[in-house]
Amino acid sequence: MISLEHQFEENVLTTKVDWLLNWARLSSIWPMTFGLACCAIEMMAVGAAHHDIDRFGAGAFRASPRQADLMIVAGTVNFKMAERVKRLYDQMPSPKYVIAMGACATGGGPYYKFGYTVVKGVDRVIPVDVYIAGCPPRPEALLEGLMKLQEKIRNSSVIRKPARLA
Amino acid sequence: MDFQGLHDRLLAINAPGLVGTDEPRKPNPKDKKDKGRAGDPFVIVDAQQLVLFLEVCRDDDRLCFEQLIDITATDPSKDGADLWINVSLLSLKFRHRLQIKCLLPKSAAELPSTVRVYRASQWNERECAEMFGIKFVGHPDPRNILLPDDWLGFPLRKDYEFPKEYHGISCE
Repeated sequence: MISLEHQFEENVLTTKVDWLLNWARLSSIWPMTFGLACCAIEMMAVGAAHHDIDRFGAGAFRASPRQADLMIVAGTVNFKMAERVKRLYDQMPSPKYVIAMGACATGGGPYYKFGYTVVKGVDRVIPVDVYIAGCPPRPEALLEGLMKLQEKIRNSSVIRKPARLA
Repeated sequence: MDFQGLHDRLLAINAPGLVGTDEPRKPNPKDKKDKGRAGDPFVIVDAQQLVLFLEVCRDDDRLCFEQLIDITATDPSKDGADLWINVSLLSLKFRHRLQIKCLLPKSAAELPSTVRVYRASQWNERECAEMFGIKFVGHPDPRNILLPDDWLGFPLRKDYEFPKEYHGISCE
């Protein structure tokens, strides 16, 4: 008979379920390949070597919403696109997150007054977790937004409903 | 050929629908309200005969406008009775250009489609149709090109009123 004494200390790690799940989620936020306007150029810069979003585990841009965790709404959403945005969001598996990148996605931006087909903020169509200011935001700002999202995930719990960031 | 030469040639071949010209001019120093006009010289053409005019422009040996650059429209004022149709032509052979302007009453904004002469005008005419409410009679594919299919109103008209909501999304 094998003694189980002193067998676990080196091979088994004990943690909380919340911590483990959150760690797994926030360390591999796979975004969807989804750019609508000039903000998408900055998003591409974030994906490239200099800014390197892969450092945050979020570099695997998926070509399908069914494999993605994060939708970065990078650009102007108009009414024709809003229905598509909604459908793509619905196709993403939970848990799913949305970053509204730039002035247009946040609140209509320069098209607020005279943009007859522009949705004045993508939060009128889908729920948004993090808003990033800028027109377009610098790549660093998008990374900051991603870190804010990671912070939000880190503070969430599978037992309680995730508290909204105030 | 410069504009004067083009205009002379159009007169010489008796181009159908040619009404006159609209050329830039300097402001009148005696009249302070007169600001003159900058920009390109236009030939003014009757809108209903625009197709015939373009056909002549394309087929004439000395004009030889092979390429249609643009068809667009302008709504110059909210109270005005007319829309403008603006057409740009380019001859690659002779390297000259022509700007054409047609007046079209807002109350009956219809003219024959120019797709028969220049196939490149399809998308431009579709855009004009949805943005200004101009009907191009005989267009082979008269769907909306940019706006959703169920869009109401013509956004680039000066009297356009913005929608309050679209498919449940508020615009306020």
